[in-house]
Amino acid sequence: MSEPKSEKNWRKQFVSWVNGEREPKDRTLFVMERRHINLPRRTDEEHELRERHRLRRFLNRYPLAAILICALLLCVLLSVVIIMPDFGNPNNPTNNEVSEHYLEYAYEETGASNVVTGMILSYRGFDTLGESCVLFLAVSCVMMLLRGQNETDGEEEKRKRKLEENIQRTQPDVILRQAARLLIPFIFLFAVYVLVHGEESPGGGFSGGTILGCGLILYSGAFGPERIQRFFNGRVFAAVRTFGLLLYAGLYGFYIFMGANGLEYGMSFMMPIDLAVGLVVACTIYGFYALFSRGEI
Amino acid sequence: MKILEIILLLGLVVTAVAAPLSRRLLTTVIIYMAFSLIMAVLWSLLQSPDLAITEAAVGAGISSILFFLTLKKIHALKGTRDE
Repeated sequence: MSEPKSEKNWRKQFVSWVNGEREPKDRTLFVMERRHINLPRRTDEEHELRERHRLRRFLNRYPLAAILICALLLCVLLSVVIIMPDFGNPNNPTNNEVSEHYLEYAYEETGASNVVTGMILSYRGFDTLGESCVLFLAVSCVMMLLRGQNETDGEEEKRKRKLEENIQRTQPDVILRQAARLLIPFIFLFAVYVLVHGEESPGGGFSGGTILGCGLILYSGAFGPERIQRFFNGRVFAAVRTFGLLLYAGLYGFYIFMGANGLEYGMSFMMPIDLAVGLVVACTIYGFYALFSRGEI
Repeated sequence: MKILEIILLLGLVVTAVAAPLSRRLLTTVIIYMAFSLIMAVLWSLLQSPDLAITEAAVGAGISSILFFLTLKKIHALKGTRDE
């Protein structure tokens, strides 16, 4: 226990430590040796009894704590509702000129008669670009974590999955197949309609892309992964989602660069941008399903 | 119209209370689906069809599918083929 007596000594030690000439003494082992051990080893039965007691105590308190937290949250939310401005008051901060401007000039400035689409894709286009990037990155992360998980499964899991696949191939679900055969064309048609017509009717990139992804999921669930991999395998998947994001970024960059006024060029920029968002969203939805269910696209 | 709205709002409250109180996880997911569907109808009654379409597709469709997949992964689906 030789503490440095003077400051000079301490500084010299510190300087030499920074220079890497000496390391401070590691006293961990010494302290551990000298520590007095006073814990008698518990037997397994005693341990189990103790754990059960703790679990019971936890379960007794759990509903109480849950109710308490819910009540607290309710109080906070209700108090926020009380201090919110009155409904329909003309002096509210939300009733300013911004929304009026959107409602009045949205068609002139963006070329989209559906104001919501105009707002999402033109006024707040960078926001939507960020959201598309989030979806892209989310799928990439899920791919990193879940791809190839089937190889690391145990023997039991592999056997079970092979059995399941065999059952699906030899005895397909007739009701599911017929219903899918009937529904899938209409689902795809509706998805394309919502995507392409998003600037004039309700819908747009996000909802249209989600419907497209749902159609793909139904197809893959009803006819098995082999059928869908014929036209939508991993390479196509990666190409489509990258193409969607790049198309969005390119088109929106061009749009902003040219003064953010699509009508002057005789075409609307909203429809292709909608399509790009839809591609990214559809790939995200289908990618989540495929990766979660079988670990590959 | 008013009566329909009241019925839908009551259904919203009932499903919201019933979802966490049900015993089986599968039932919870299905009740949650019903909640999303009621919410979608309510959105369209509140004159926001954009939100209604998205709610019907994401809330009732995608999130339930992901929940079902998760339940299958953790072997919480009773009475399916893998038993």
